[in-house]
Amino acid sequence: MSISVIFPTKNRAHYVKRAVRTAFKAHRVEEVIVIDGGSMDDTIRIAEREGAKVIVQSDLIYPGKGIAMRDGAYLASCDILVYLDIDIRNVTPEFIEKLAEPIISGQAEFVKGCFERAAGRVTELVAKPLLRMFYPELAKFRQPLSGEIAGLRKLFYKVEFERGWGVDVGLLIDFYKLGARIVERDIGYKDHDMKPLHALTDMAYEVAAAILRRAIRDQKVDPRWAEKYMSGVRAMDLGLESERGFV
Amino acid sequence: MRVLLIGGGHSAYFAARAIREIDPDGHLIIIEFTREKVEMLSRTFPSAEVLFQEIDRVEDYIKENSELLDAVIAATESDSLNLRYCRVARENAVPITVSILNNPLNYEIFKKEKINYIIDPYRVITIQLFEILGAPVNVVFSSLVNNLEIASVRILNEKLLHELRSALDKHDDVIAAFVSRTGEISSSPSSVSLGGSAYIMGPREKIEKLLQLSRNVVMR
Ligand SMILES: Nc1nc2c(ncn2[C@@H]2O[C@H](COP(=O)(O)OP(=O)(O)O)[C@@H](O)[C@H]2O)c(=O)[nH]1
Ligand SMILES: [Mg+2]
Repeated sequence: MSISVIFPTKNRAHYVKRAVRTAFKAHRVEEVIVIDGGSMDDTIRIAEREGAKVIVQSDLIYPGKGIAMRDGAYLASCDILVYLDIDIRNVTPEFIEKLAEPIISGQAEFVKGCFERAAGRVTELVAKPLLRMFYPELAKFRQPLSGEIAGLRKLFYKVEFERGWGVDVGLLIDFYKLGARIVERDIGYKDHDMKPLHALTDMAYEVAAAILRRAIRDQKVDPRWAEKYMSGVRAMDLGLESERGFV
Repeated sequence: MRVLLIGGGHSAYFAARAIREIDPDGHLIIIEFTREKVEMLSRTFPSAEVLFQEIDRVEDYIKENSELLDAVIAATESDSLNLRYCRVARENAVPITVSILNNPLNYEIFKKEKINYIIDPYRVITIQLFEILGAPVNVVFSSLVNNLEIASVRILNEKLLHELRSALDKHDDVIAAFVSRTGEISSSPSSVSLGGSAYIMGPREKIEKLLQLSRNVVMR
């Protein structure tokens, strides 16, 4: 089985060379894809020089990590997709190999990476409580928001990609709903840039919206109730006005 | 004409309308990935053949039908898919491959793939704003099919007017219409006053050269 490694990234040129080179060193990796979020730096040039396939995400929205992940899946051609954040300073080929291993061995169709690190604030205070309410089966995952994942490429074409920060928890729920076998893999310590607290409000909002949107879709919440009583949440954010489907 | 249009969003909608208008009796096939949109498109374009396909099956469809197709137009909402589908169409010798970009920042990436025609739907924003705000130089139309360009140039000084006049004298494949400051249109350079503008048309390299001249004049 071959592996495509996908890096969504925006304005992180100084991480690109190292990330792409490391990815190419991992066993079974046949292509490395960099999806740029409209960077103002040298990201594209460096990524192309290092032999990555590069495209700019189809919508210039920020945050647009989800759009970037979708475009990465659509550009990829290998059997397994491995996604990594670009800003992992201690990234090694083993990160990729560990993430892909349960799929290669036939143990799972989707793998969530987890790390030894101080508990993520949005993870502990938003994602986990909401998952426990609506998807208790997923409450056991230590890091439901981690962007380090692996999965069978074909399955990524059957799920909905949130556009922004809700994408990772959305994928976890959607793979679960597809009936995929999901395992969590500890890939050690992750050394990356931490966001200040105020930057987490929007992220927390999008994570909550992604979970609630699915809870409504999966009929765990009555949509009329949600629209009427969840003040501050626009109907659009809950997917009530938008068309289903992702292309 | 037998045209395959892929996508069911904004771009695809306008592409389908354009194709219908120029070739009402042609065979238009539209491929979409969600059942809801397939149904909606069939109602909107009753004479088109609208097919549901999985994302990963479109390439096979193009391969299997490449000999029958006159053109493939990739107009999905993902530039990744547009790139994939155009690549396969080109590799299978479909005569015309067109991609409608979602993000113009991908223009160079698509160009490297040798896709015949790359449409940047946002280009018109620049052109119209340049026209409205009176940019010194504006490329209004650059044919993707022929070596022809139309541009407008503001006549900001005598030197520029002089250069334009002599270029028009020298090349009979470059033609112009002049608009005075008060809006009168004329084809004669002699009636032009400073502050008006010229719309020039001709072979791309000659127009570019003239534009370069006026850019230089503006810079100085
Ligand atoms: N293409 C793209 N990548 C993004 C965008 N926002 C974040 N990323 C990338 O997504 C990954 C995770 O983002 P990061 O800011 O590190 O999030 P954190 O680790 O949760 O603090 C990094 O590789 C970012 O460069 C975006 O809008 N577009
Ligand atoms: Mg990070």
